[in-house]
Amino acid sequence: MKNLIRSLIILLPLFGIYFFFNILTEEKFYPGADFRSFEVPNFELSALDIDVKYTSEDFDNEFLMNVWASWCITCRVEHGFLMKLNNDGYNIVGLNYKDNKSDALGWLKKYTNPYSLNIHDPKGSLALDMGVTGAPETFLVKDGVVLVHYSGEVNKVIWDNVFVPIIKENKMFQ
Amino acid sequence: MNNLRRKRLLSVVALVFTSFLGVFLILKALNSNLDYFYTPSEMINIEIPDKKRVKLGGMVQEDSVKRNGTNISFKITDFNHSIDVSYNGVVPDLFKEGSGIVAYGLIVDEILIAEDIFAKHDENYMPPTIEISKK
Amino acid sequence: MIGEISHFFTIIASCLFLLSFIFSTRTYQSNHNIEILVSRVFSYGFYFILISFLLYVWLAIQSDFSIKYIAQHSNKELPIFYKISSIWSAHEGSMFLWILFLALWSQLFNINLSKKNILKAPAIGLLAFILFGFLMFLLFTSNPFEVILPIAPINGADINPVLQDPALAIHPPFLYLGYVGFVIAFAYNTAFLIKGDMDINWERVVRPWSLAAWILLTIGISLGSWWAYYELGWGGYWFWDPVENVALMPWLAGTALIHSLYVSSRTKALKSWTILLSISVFSLSLFGAFIVRSGIIDSIHSFANDPQRGLYLLGFSAILITISLGFYAYRLPVLISTNLVASKSKEAFLSINNIIFATLIFAVFLGVMYPLIFDFIYGERISVGPPYYNTIFAPLTFLASIFLVFSVGSLWKRSSQLFFINSALSASILLATLITLYLVSLFNDFNWWFVGGLFSSFLILFRYLILIIYSFYQGNYFNKASAIAHIGLGLLILATTFNASLSYEKVINIKPGETYTAEAYEFTLINFDLINESNYDSVRAKFSVKDINSLNKVFFLYPEKRKYFIRGQITSESAIKITPTKDIYMTLGDQLDSGYWVVNIQYNYLIRLIWIAAAVMCLGALVTFTQSYSKK
Repeated sequence: MKNLIRSLIILLPLFGIYFFFNILTEEKFYPGADFRSFEVPNFELSALDIDVKYTSEDFDNEFLMNVWASWCITCRVEHGFLMKLNNDGYNIVGLNYKDNKSDALGWLKKYTNPYSLNIHDPKGSLALDMGVTGAPETFLVKDGVVLVHYSGEVNKVIWDNVFVPIIKENKMFQ
Repeated sequence: MNNLRRKRLLSVVALVFTSFLGVFLILKALNSNLDYFYTPSEMINIEIPDKKRVKLGGMVQEDSVKRNGTNISFKITDFNHSIDVSYNGVVPDLFKEGSGIVAYGLIVDEILIAEDIFAKHDENYMPPTIEISKK
Repeated sequence: MIGEISHFFTIIASCLFLLSFIFSTRTYQSNHNIEILVSRVFSYGFYFILISFLLYVWLAIQSDFSIKYIAQHSNKELPIFYKISSIWSAHEGSMFLWILFLALWSQLFNINLSKKNILKAPAIGLLAFILFGFLMFLLFTSNPFEVILPIAPINGADINPVLQDPALAIHPPFLYLGYVGFVIAFAYNTAFLIKGDMDINWERVVRPWSLAAWILLTIGISLGSWWAYYELGWGGYWFWDPVENVALMPWLAGTALIHSLYVSSRTKALKSWTILLSISVFSLSLFGAFIVRSGIIDSIHSFANDPQRGLYLLGFSAILITISLGFYAYRLPVLISTNLVASKSKEAFLSINNIIFATLIFAVFLGVMYPLIFDFIYGERISVGPPYYNTIFAPLTFLASIFLVFSVGSLWKRSSQLFFINSALSASILLATLITLYLVSLFNDFNWWFVGGLFSSFLILFRYLILIIYSFYQGNYFNKASAIAHIGLGLLILATTFNASLSYEKVINIKPGETYTAEAYEFTLINFDLINESNYDSVRAKFSVKDINSLNKVFFLYPEKRKYFIRGQITSESAIKITPTKDIYMTLGDQLDSGYWVVNIQYNYLIRLIWIAAAVMCLGALVTFTQSYSKK
């Protein structure tokens, strides 16, 4: 009886800890990540720097789409990692979100530009259709289909655990 | 000593009995106060018992908000399905079309009669069910 | 540069705490010099972490946006006060503050404890180990010193205006001080268990520290509830939110602990229970930190989440709990005292109330855990509604009040006379019954909880009133601290009961020039002012309210809706009129196309008394604290 109580005192909390361990290590416990795929919605928006219109037809290759804005501090934090991705040869398309043109261009000039091209979405209309709720958010797109939608800062941990498995699975960026 | 033993035994029995009773009562209270959490798509596919309050999480659908006196009606959507919601009262500050909210109340004739509307104090908030259903 | 120094000092502090811990494991040779070394190295560690934190505060005041955390959570335009409070507005910085407070308590304990105390070195060593563990957590998973390279942003982020509030800015420090304060009882009692010398009088050492922690935790929780009341615009004071619940659990366990400590210091009974409680309080604080910081539960208050953090916290908590409970289980046979608790003695009543507290903690724990378990097993999302907590808390509080009243005037280690033989007790039962009957019929509310709440609160109040009057008249000694604290409890039950029974709200449609009458008040919407502030525009309604009951006296209410420029966030500022019996709480809703506005009017009865009662309880605990501190 006494030994039963003694072992219960230790085993009950350990059981609780084991339970939490299970929850935390459940597959893909990354709340910002959304793995539902959907097609890039139809849109027509102009580029940030030049007066060229882009539509959804232009996006049928493989790329990352990064939602950013000059007012967004986390984007500033994320910028370093995006530069690294750019240097590693990943094609990153910028979606400039609820921002004004001159601020956005000033930002790119000041911190250098990791994007291959930038779409200007001052009203956030494309962003809304894509389910964007803030900045930064990042989409992984293949052949006009979004494979991953990540809300929040992408850093090495997120990249390795959320994006890389999907990229490998779909044999992208080869 | 014998007397002491009997006393101890008695108190152990009483303790076990009351703790079982206590746990039983607590679990009973717990079970009658559970609020189920659904997304619109989930809610369409299940039977919800009468007089069972539920929480419905999703986004306020664009162009669906209608006001009538102190009453407000709108649709909550998860981009696949939507459910009509009616609420009498002051909606939270962060309530707007396209924002993530949770409505709590009874389903009457396929309309959620909300008693409470919650929005999170974070602009990047998405209702947890949407997060879950993504997985 | 200062950022790097601050970072470096934290690293040095971690090394010193590790060193102090390692030294403490060598004290079995009973080498006195090593014991002094443990304490001294610990002090150095504390000074380094203190300076590191002060430098960090300096960085925040200077708006050094090369630090990522400060750039993300502060802004040049903020007043200094909010620049400082921005440090604990998110995970990394608040963890830093949490650790600083942990170090602060430990250092105060280190200074206060006599060198001759044989548990000093192991207790300090354990504290050093805990500090080291949390500093590693800080440095590796949530580093507040991380910098933005190569160029710092010109200005920081826009701060959520809801968070710019004095009560919100100061309640986390009190909460953390309270949470981590229980670490002293945890560490000292664990050291006691490891040493295993049953003659050590640990109750005396641990008691004032636990009381101090309890007071700060109570203040923290009350401030939090006050903030939620006037800022969130919902008009309630407690929402049974998971994060509130994880703060309530250590509070309940802490309350049980300070009572149980009292019993075991007086009678030598309940020793094993008291030690289990002291381990539980800190474990529940760790549980709270884990729940809030792992992102496992979704709540208004929870921080952005990262599974790495959750796993680290879980692992470290597992180590601490296994050590302490392991030794507890090992020593249990010698701990269980052979002293039987005499029936109807003071300690018997206190024990029963301890069981009630344990039940409450279990119920809250279950309420927090059940959605997780349910999700894990069935994959369905559920939440536990406030009625669950109310149906459990109300009857158990009433029951506890009755045993509390029995314990007043009862004797240690001896059976007491109860009921009708005890004139003071029967007089208070009679008075409480009469006034309850009167009030129940007056308010025409026959709900069981209304009757129970009134009866138990008046029972407590009358019992202590009689005690005080009687003692003054006879010149007897009575425990003043306990009387004050429990009168606070009586007031708290009274206030929450009346508040739950009488409060109500009305949603109205009104446009300028119109009048709406609710209860004995006439609300007239006079006009709207547009106000331009430096960082927001606001629409402010002016209501004149005529109080029909008191000679048509008129006062004004100004509920407001603000739109902040950056990102266009909208907030409501409720207007509150405080009257002796209630708050009139008005929130401005939306404007309708027809020119009407939706307005919410609430009558919150006796809500002020809730915080006053909490303050009275703290006062009582403070008196006990000063007594037990000087006796120590």
